[in-house]
Amino acid sequence: MTKEKKRKQAPADAAPSQGDEGDRKERRKDKKAKKERAADPIRPSQIKNKEKRSELHAKLKREKKAQKRKLAQEREQAARRAVELGEQASPPERQVPRTIENTREPDETVCRPDDQELFAGNDADEFNAVLKQQMTPKVLITTCRFNSGFISMSSNNILSAASIQRGPAFIEELMQVIPNSHYVKRGTYELKKIVEYATNRGFTSLIVVHTNRREPDALLIIGLPDGPTAHFKLSKLVLRKDIKNHGNPTSHKPELVLNNFTTRLGHRIGRMIQSLFPQDPNFRGRRVVTFHNQRDYIFFRHHRYIFETKESKVASKDKKAKKSESKSQTDKQVTCRLQECGPRFTLKLLTLQHGTFDTKSGEYEWVHKADMDTSRRRFFL
Amino acid sequence: MPRTTAVESPGCPPLRALTTDILGLVKVVEARAKPAGVAKVVETWGAPDASRAIVAASLADHAADPVLAVARKNGVVELLNPLNGDSLAAVKTVGPEANDSDPLAALHLFTRQASDSMLGTFIACTEKGKVYPRSVAKENDSSGTDAGPSSTWDVCSGGNVQFCSVDHSETYVVFGGKGIEVNLWDITSCTKIWSAKSPRPNNNLGIFTRPWFTAGTFLCKDDHRKFVACTNDHQVRLYDTALQRRPAISVDFRESPIKAVAADPNGYNVYIGTGTGDLASYDMRTGKLLGCYVGKCSGSIRSIVRHPELPLIASCGLDSYLRIWDTNTRQLLSAVFLKQHLTTVVIDSHFSIEEPGETKSKQPEPSLEVQTEVRKEKKKKKSRTIEEEMQGEEVKHDDSEAEMYTPKREKSGERSKSLKKKSKKQQVA
Repeated sequence: MTKEKKRKQAPADAAPSQGDEGDRKERRKDKKAKKERAADPIRPSQIKNKEKRSELHAKLKREKKAQKRKLAQEREQAARRAVELGEQASPPERQVPRTIENTREPDETVCRPDDQELFAGNDADEFNAVLKQQMTPKVLITTCRFNSGFISMSSNNILSAASIQRGPAFIEELMQVIPNSHYVKRGTYELKKIVEYATNRGFTSLIVVHTNRREPDALLIIGLPDGPTAHFKLSKLVLRKDIKNHGNPTSHKPELVLNNFTTRLGHRIGRMIQSLFPQDPNFRGRRVVTFHNQRDYIFFRHHRYIFETKESKVASKDKKAKKSESKSQTDKQVTCRLQECGPRFTLKLLTLQHGTFDTKSGEYEWVHKADMDTSRRRFFL
Repeated sequence: MPRTTAVESPGCPPLRALTTDILGLVKVVEARAKPAGVAKVVETWGAPDASRAIVAASLADHAADPVLAVARKNGVVELLNPLNGDSLAAVKTVGPEANDSDPLAALHLFTRQASDSMLGTFIACTEKGKVYPRSVAKENDSSGTDAGPSSTWDVCSGGNVQFCSVDHSETYVVFGGKGIEVNLWDITSCTKIWSAKSPRPNNNLGIFTRPWFTAGTFLCKDDHRKFVACTNDHQVRLYDTALQRRPAISVDFRESPIKAVAADPNGYNVYIGTGTGDLASYDMRTGKLLGCYVGKCSGSIRSIVRHPELPLIASCGLDSYLRIWDTNTRQLLSAVFLKQHLTTVVIDSHFSIEEPGETKSKQPEPSLEVQTEVRKEKKKKKSRTIEEEMQGEEVKHDDSEAEMYTPKREKSGERSKSLKKKSKKQQVA
């Protein structure tokens, strides 16, 4: 449109004698343009002339702002009227922001709680023996091959090693998180040999912490004896000593929180993680291990919580006379406090392989491929 | 609002496919809409039980009285009616001594029928290489379901059999597996006719690789001498028993083991599926890759089947989706989520939407063929490129061509030599 206008203008400037006619033409054009705009609003991004574009953009912005203000005023008035009429002032409706997560693409693989086939499938899968408490989970943790890290069981050495590199320290903390886990030196054994070794010794899972340049960057979780192999990318690792006001975990069995594992694949990953931990937590220990899935990233956190009975804030701020009253009433609130302990890291699933680790002849249940990333709103877990 | 465009799959022509999974369920997927519709799960047969997981299935695709045979993990072969899911017979094939240690690996149900009193004849093969040919009589004729174990023979001494494939005339069968070279057997006399030789090592060290075949199929309908075998180290090989014992053509495809292969009725195309969910088609006359089937296929492909008439293939696997593809455009027509890891898929080709209910495919229909032809023509109109039309014509004349093709190959050794050279070149490369 603007281009056309320009073209019309240029000859008008060149021949001033026909200027009036040109103007008229332009006005007609403008009218037409306005009509069209009413029918189909032009986005500012379609206009190439910068001045016109910014003009339109400013105008749209102004309109939007005015509308917003108007709506807010209406809401306020309605609330005031309700108070005047003596109704209970209901809290205003909370507006849910539109996020990428809640505008997620509809997915048919999302599990429904009434799906009988899902439960039958769960009963048949590899983790069933552990999750039904027929077996106690026993986890072997090892490093990648030719790992230069040096780990020993005495804490002094660990501290000195951790100041240089984070791999051994991470393993040390992971062993405190997962009960009944054992570290075995990798040496130069192939992973298939380690899998064999662990199966023979009755381990139920195997975790391999892969380090690159002395920095942990991948996690391999293998279910034993025939469970799947999940390969995760590990990022944003923060060790315990780098967390402010961190706590030191006890040796109680932790509680486990798995959030947002919705699809079939998510369930499988969730069950796999669940099978690493014992199924009978010591609630006295007040330890929680959280795996929170958001947009296919799994966030790991490890906390200790405490319930405290506290006087409510309102009572303490009141006048002295009232304070004495409140004391006599013993108006107390129970609050929960959290203290973070243990490492903090993020996992992203790269592949899920059927059977134990086998790169040459393995079959994959799920592989991340580039052509799956055509939408930001498609999630697999 | 996000300006994303969802690519809708165009839907597939009327079709009926049956899938089997690791919970022992048989699921029926049908597409009913006339020009093109969405495929949906219509029925599910069986109760979920992991010990009765189905490892292989085979369909005798008759117009009247079709039979579906499924081999279960516990060594039982069950014959089902693929129209309503009734169990017709269950035969315990594997001997009682070796049940857990020697599960069934492959199954083929013969389409030709020996007599009317017989329900079906099948051969089942266990992982350790024991082959059990069995024929099952109809239950009202005889008291026992098992009409005599005719003979049991051993395919191999050591190793794991992973596939068996029977040619179109159903007199020859080819076996292969982990540690077993491909070998060709005559079913009628139960003798080994031919066995392959592993190709010359193509690395400069001359290290011999252990044979590990994962899938195989006969290439042409009326030529039992040519078959395609796929290996674990991602090779597609064409063997010609009349030519030599080493593969005539051997080509690499990507990096993951090939898990499934299916031949096209035109007699030279094959479809292969890999352990990472890549699906591709090859022209086995030249060993050239025709193209890959791109869709969000993320799990290992366990089974591919080609529709006998329509230009369609169906694939299924560990990502628990049944996907239906157009072979001409290589486009995904429809995908159905079936909740479990799928093991096999079969297509019931005598399916049409005209007659309601289950009786529809019991009578042979003269109208069906006409319909399919009409459909083909429609397809042709849609496809604008000349090449595709050429392909379509080839499909039409494929029988005559195949007949002409076979004597040619026998006469001229030149062609075979050239093939040899080609394979050598490829090996060198």
